[in-house]
Amino acid sequence: MAANSDSPNFQTSLFNKFKNHRKDSQTFILLGVFVVLFVFFGLINHNFIAAPSIISMAFQLPEIGILSLAMLLPTIVGGIDLSVNSVANLAAVVSGIFLVKILPVNLLNPALSVVLAIGLALLIGVICGMLNGFLVAYVGVPPILATLATYTTFLGIATGITGGASVTGFPDQMGSIGSGTIFGIPITFVIFALLAILIYFILFRTTFGFKIRMLGSNPTAAKFSGLKNNLILMKLYIIGGVLSSIAGVVAMSYTMSANYEYGTTTYVLLAILITVLSNITPGFGNVFNIFVSVLILQIISTGSHMALMGVQGSSFFKDFLWGILMILIFILNYFMHRKEIQN
Amino acid sequence: MVEEILRVENIKKRFGGAVALDNINLSIHQKEICCLVGENGSGKSTLIKLISGVYAPDEGDIYINGHLYKKLTPIESIHEGIQVIYQDFSLFPNLSVAENVAINDQLASGKQLINWKQINRIAAEGLARINISLPLDALVSTLSTAERQLVAIVKALLANAKLIVMDEPTTALTQKEVDSLFKLINDLKDQGISTLFVSHKLNEVSAISDRTIIFRNGHKIVDQNAKELNIKKMEFYMTGHEIDNSVVQFNKIEKDSKPLLKIENLSLAGVFSGINFELKVGEVLGITGLLGSGRTELGLALFGELPVDSGKIYINDKEIFIKSIAEAVRAGIGFVPEDRIREGLFLDHSIIDNTIVDIIDRLKDKLNFIDYKKKTITGEQWIKKLEIKTPSGELPVKSLSGGNQQRVVLAKWLATNPKILILNNPTVGVDVGSKAEIHELIRSLAKQGLGIMVISDDIPELIRTCHRVLLMQGGKIVEEFTYDNISEERLNSELVRANIIDDNPRRSDE
Amino acid sequence: MIKKLINTSEFVVLLTLIGLYVIVGLINPVFFSISTIFDTLRASTVYFFLAFGLLPIIISGGVDISFVAVAAVSSYAAQMFLVSRGYDGGIWAYFIISCAIGILMGLLIWFLVTRFNLPIFSVSLALFTMWYGFALFFIGAQNNFQLPASGVGYYEKNLMTVKLPTGGITSLHSSIIYVVLAGLFIWWFLKYTTIGRGVYAIGGSREVAVRSGFNVKLILLTIFVIMGILAAIAGVFFGLLNRYFGPMDLQGDPLNVIAAVILGGASITGGKGTVFGTVLGVILIQLINRALIFLGIPAQWQVLVVGFMLIIFISMPAIRERRANKLGHSTAMTELE
Repeated sequence: MAANSDSPNFQTSLFNKFKNHRKDSQTFILLGVFVVLFVFFGLINHNFIAAPSIISMAFQLPEIGILSLAMLLPTIVGGIDLSVNSVANLAAVVSGIFLVKILPVNLLNPALSVVLAIGLALLIGVICGMLNGFLVAYVGVPPILATLATYTTFLGIATGITGGASVTGFPDQMGSIGSGTIFGIPITFVIFALLAILIYFILFRTTFGFKIRMLGSNPTAAKFSGLKNNLILMKLYIIGGVLSSIAGVVAMSYTMSANYEYGTTTYVLLAILITVLSNITPGFGNVFNIFVSVLILQIISTGSHMALMGVQGSSFFKDFLWGILMILIFILNYFMHRKEIQN
Repeated sequence: MVEEILRVENIKKRFGGAVALDNINLSIHQKEICCLVGENGSGKSTLIKLISGVYAPDEGDIYINGHLYKKLTPIESIHEGIQVIYQDFSLFPNLSVAENVAINDQLASGKQLINWKQINRIAAEGLARINISLPLDALVSTLSTAERQLVAIVKALLANAKLIVMDEPTTALTQKEVDSLFKLINDLKDQGISTLFVSHKLNEVSAISDRTIIFRNGHKIVDQNAKELNIKKMEFYMTGHEIDNSVVQFNKIEKDSKPLLKIENLSLAGVFSGINFELKVGEVLGITGLLGSGRTELGLALFGELPVDSGKIYINDKEIFIKSIAEAVRAGIGFVPEDRIREGLFLDHSIIDNTIVDIIDRLKDKLNFIDYKKKTITGEQWIKKLEIKTPSGELPVKSLSGGNQQRVVLAKWLATNPKILILNNPTVGVDVGSKAEIHELIRSLAKQGLGIMVISDDIPELIRTCHRVLLMQGGKIVEEFTYDNISEERLNSELVRANIIDDNPRRSDE
Repeated sequence: MIKKLINTSEFVVLLTLIGLYVIVGLINPVFFSISTIFDTLRASTVYFFLAFGLLPIIISGGVDISFVAVAAVSSYAAQMFLVSRGYDGGIWAYFIISCAIGILMGLLIWFLVTRFNLPIFSVSLALFTMWYGFALFFIGAQNNFQLPASGVGYYEKNLMTVKLPTGGITSLHSSIIYVVLAGLFIWWFLKYTTIGRGVYAIGGSREVAVRSGFNVKLILLTIFVIMGILAAIAGVFFGLLNRYFGPMDLQGDPLNVIAAVILGGASITGGKGTVFGTVLGVILIQLINRALIFLGIPAQWQVLVVGFMLIIFISMPAIRERRANKLGHSTAMTELE
């Protein structure tokens, strides 16, 4: 309660130097891991570094990538969002049904229909985000419980309106986003990269992002400094909802179908995994780390699949490697942390 | 011959390059109440950690009950009877009183099974020893601070404490509870248990101490019978120079000028009622009273944290409705909290970030993004203006001392250009030197035209900063002291008188 | 005394449970039949074991999601091992081997958490992913329907069978005995052992627990080993009751079990929770699922109803706390918490 800061200044300033270091060092570790793994898998199977393989990876990772960006925001304010994937699916399913069943087929230009459907998806993202924000900020439910409940609810709505069946039959224009490329780079990858840059700008270049980070650092002090905590949280969850819905659109456009439980809980756990790997802590977070972590997970997935081509169950080896990678990085962090303190 | 419980000889302790304790020699005997006094950084905490075995001295010997310890461990210290009561009382809020009291016994015995009958018996005996009654199965989280402190003391007694070390024990106690505590300490003394009372509240030290030890910069300056010391002398020894109490220049306030802040009939059910007062430009108004008189809550109400039920608030003759902190800030009110760590600062963020957090919206560039250059310059300007001592503004705020941290909080509010600044116990945990500087700062801010309210129970602080002081009791303003009729003795005695009348200090009902 | 009992979260859950039973029963009287109770209990068996194993971890202040992987991997591995050896004996072998694996898996998470000072949630997330891949790649991705002779009839091994008034029979499965034993053990552990109280201590304040002399490492070791054993048992029961062993199905459910434990009154931040509450929480979720069928709610909308109920359930304590804070605020400033 009352501050009794008797500790010597040098001790704490030493600790701080280490703390800043740790933030930067995670980026280096991740970049190092990325390079090592890339080379490693390339050596095992030369096809890995060939253009088709790289482009294929670039097509697959945006879904998880954008979901991870959606997970980043609540994590920075010390919370979590278990509903990201269910928002994505709900947005996809609603907009899919709208596109296929509700929009008059012959009246509208199909491209325009697709645009409207995407708009609807984003709107769903906003609404879902608002529910999350309302529960966390205004009712005061701990984020893990609130988003557990909303995850179930959104999944429930999607299950109900689809009856379990996938939504298909989209016009070709829908697939043009998911399968299209620009200068050879998949459009969805570009979208992911642009969103990452956007989130970086929001978090580190806008006053809104500054307030988010301060709120994450100490919500009580934020309130007593006059920051409008509830409003900030609400906006934050809405942005998360929109990002989730974009992830849903990307998946829908790539697979040309919308499903009520695409990705199940796996995608959520992967998104959390990525934020943990990126060392996101309340008040402090590095968007670039998220980007690299997503790349790392993807190359492990594709790389191990290619290396084990033909072996039964090869598509599951990636989970094994992901888990081991995380543990190794945790252990590495621990030892680096210890070395800093000793210095 | 009175037995010597603790003796330390030629203790030296260094952290990195700096000396925390140098050539410390002292001893504590049975049936003795010792007070350890000193500014932050004087070495008091270090000494406590040494005698409790948390740290080991670089040089020197520690004797407990006549046994020499070159490298004391916490278990050994506990076995010898030294019990340190920390500020969180080492209690488990989610466990019952009985369990908290008996837990050390259970752990020490190494038993793996719990016998609840025995736990309850041990606890009941312990509570009886100091003559208090608390429901044994009540969760500690439902107890008041004073009650928790008593549980902590019972715990210490059950561990056969010979010396109980209390670190700033009266921080959150009402005056009545402080008196009870002092009586208890004296009872313990009669039972043969000594107390080492670490405090910065010199008036309390004067009241309770048998022998007073003063540290400064890692050295022991004074170690003598408390009767030979008074507050002025203690301050002198603590800081090394006299605190200039007498010469305090107050700015003049226009008698007939319009009030900056006018409060009419402010009421909050169960907390305060019918509050009326005015605050003029350039005036420093003190609000005091016992804990629970509503003084803190009044400040929080004006700041929007506790919106009032009824009453009017006028700022510059315009009626303002304050329903949230954001609205209060917009109306030009700033609030420096008592618990700056929890409520005032973002510890891991830089000093600059902490300083400009409220004016970040003004530090934008043409593209509406944050202008980092402007931010750094503005932040450093404030660091300079408030003389915050730090090698760099980019260092995290937790690297600063208590006094400097408080300046950061002040800087944060001053940056918003407030009309009114409310300070809640602004110099708690701040060393005496910084304290005087902050008081001077408050006076100069008033001179610059702010209206300031100081909520405090530190009488000298009120005397040195305020033009007027309002005394609250039971949620009402009962008396007003103006500059002409304030004196330390008078204010003190009024508070004491209020203590006798105020029979029901407010407590949290959880 | 009574007032205190009423104020507990467990009482609220009990009330909800009873209320649900009555309301649904009034709408569809068939719900009142004893088969509802027997069937609910049977469906809850696996969850009981998982929840009992998870409870101490949550009380200690941690959240673990790898326990489902432990259940799946240990039971699946035991099955594959025994089948490959042509095992034909009693089902006890399943439990022994599975528990052994479960203990090892529990030790692994304990080691990583204590040796490298890592948060339980992060490690469990990593291990969950790893075990999932491990099981599917190294052991196999197919569900295995081969059971030894002693296991074949197990799903029908009932404790008591009752004739229904409407015709047909319903039975209480014998596995309930083991559930009760496990529940009693955890209850006894949490209430009557020093290590068990230490779990609450760690959850209340880790720092004070260390300062008081609790052996945190030992306490964590105990609860992770318990989790490993109970998860393994849960996995074997899953296989025996559903008549197949598989790596996939159990893995989808960690959130459901966590929800059950929290609904039962445990605090997500630790320090609070009881076996009784956990039992109620598990039953509540299962009963809700059953109730939805009885109410005639189409299968595709059942999840949504559960979602709505969850939103209401998690909002209530939050609203209650908000109100309490507002009222007791006058001295909240001076509380040392």
